[in-house]
Amino acid sequence: MVVIHLGFVPPEKWQVDMRLNQDKATRFQKIFFSFLSISVFILIWHFAVVFTELGNIMPSPFAIIKNFAVSFVKPVGKHTMPVHIAYSLRRVLTGFVIGSCTGIFLGIAMGLNEIVSSIFKPVFEIIRPIPTIAWIPLAIIWFGIGETTKYFLIFLVTFCNVTINAYDGVRSIDSDYIGAAKMLGANPVRVFGRIILPACVPYIFAGLQTALGYSWATVVAAEMVRSSEGVGWMIITGQSANNMMQIMMGILAVGVIGFCLTTLMRVLEARLCSWRERGK
Amino acid sequence: MVKKKRVRNTAISIFTLLMIVFIWWLVTDGLHLVASSAMASPVKVVQTFFQKMTDKSPDGATLLQHTLASLKIAMVGYFLAVIIGVPLGIFMAWIKVVDLMVRPIFDLIRTIPGIAWISLLIIVFGVGNTSRYIVVFLAAVVPCILNSFSGIKQTKDVHLWVGQTFGAGSRQLLWSVAIPTALPMIMTGVKVALGASWMTIVAAELLASSRGLGFMIQQGRGIYRPDIIMVGMVVIGIIGGIMAKVLDLISKAIIKGR
Repeated sequence: MVVIHLGFVPPEKWQVDMRLNQDKATRFQKIFFSFLSISVFILIWHFAVVFTELGNIMPSPFAIIKNFAVSFVKPVGKHTMPVHIAYSLRRVLTGFVIGSCTGIFLGIAMGLNEIVSSIFKPVFEIIRPIPTIAWIPLAIIWFGIGETTKYFLIFLVTFCNVTINAYDGVRSIDSDYIGAAKMLGANPVRVFGRIILPACVPYIFAGLQTALGYSWATVVAAEMVRSSEGVGWMIITGQSANNMMQIMMGILAVGVIGFCLTTLMRVLEARLCSWRERGK
Repeated sequence: MVKKKRVRNTAISIFTLLMIVFIWWLVTDGLHLVASSAMASPVKVVQTFFQKMTDKSPDGATLLQHTLASLKIAMVGYFLAVIIGVPLGIFMAWIKVVDLMVRPIFDLIRTIPGIAWISLLIIVFGVGNTSRYIVVFLAAVVPCILNSFSGIKQTKDVHLWVGQTFGAGSRQLLWSVAIPTALPMIMTGVKVALGASWMTIVAAELLASSRGLGFMIQQGRGIYRPDIIMVGMVVIGIIGGIMAKVLDLISKAIIKGR
């Protein structure tokens, strides 16, 4: 059986393997294989850099990690790494908070009231297919190259996603529930607090999660187009200076922060909608 | 009564849209409240749209040429991503060793948005189309893999047991139980991937390109021509919308039991 765990599995034995698939992988297996595959990946990369021509353009993974650590005290451009990350994060969080508050409010209002939804829905249908990144040039013309442009872009991407999801959440409620609650004497406030809000929280969270992912990608793009600090700036100046090390450090920072943001949202979701986690 | 309400709601929708266009016209052409270098009037946008159909200035290509350039790169990268990503996701979910070995690396890479790769690819492959194909591919392959993976994982054990009881082999279980179960999720992933590749190609063209819709709007910004930017945005939006609709129709046609 151990052979099946570790080695190549010929197709005729997949059935055995598939049964294994149904038992969950043990914790030990997960950690062991993660460790194994990532070390193999890094070692192949390292040796490719050391022994082949790849070394001319690509730094070794160990050098990247070392430089990444050094950049916490030694500035890249004008700021150290934590400051660059803080700039990008501030842009994302400002736009995200404003966008999600207004989005939740408008989405629920649209779901509850037909007139509100017929006013705003066509506007959304027109704006939604345009990727936020395509707004960058217009936003720069409108708001200049400062912070406002970035706030606007992040606001836009969050607002669109969250509004649509909150709206879908309200629409998904079985009207029998509301009818039953009303018949048993619940006032509108109670109906809202006990039925409507709990029903749309999972939807809103799904929207927040996608919105946060898109926001992070959008801020990187916006910083790459025009900015003087932040992780996207780090990548794009690395490109124009032909400095692969700086690009890789930027990419590493983008990946790590992106991972932290998604994990944070997932933990929050598990806490706040423990009764109905999405996708379970 | 219901019908009357629907007529009223449609009327409100149309009225809002007309009001928005009217206010837009009022602040630009009507009262000149906003400088024409910041906001183009609706009339001007329509004019520019038709003019750009044949006129190559100021950015060196007609609207159609820009659109086709963007579409070509987006489509090639996207189809490669679907062809590689969906089977890989299914494979990862179906075979445990693949899951254990590939997933950690995949988890590592997928947190990085496609746009962040552009600089690296430009240095490695130059500013040519190769870097753009790869960027689109990277952005599109992640949702393909993720969704086919979780789609297959959703398959109920009971369904597989029933299949086994009736003597189905592993391959048959995969093709007639697991994949049909996963199909709705796979199609969602394929749809998300299409949006992602369209967004990424626009971003890639904003940063480094000499053709394409992203390039066109970036040029429009440089010379303060908001009308060109807005025409570009409208075309980007329309094409994105059409692509999403087409995929909707396809997924309706091939998903069983819904």
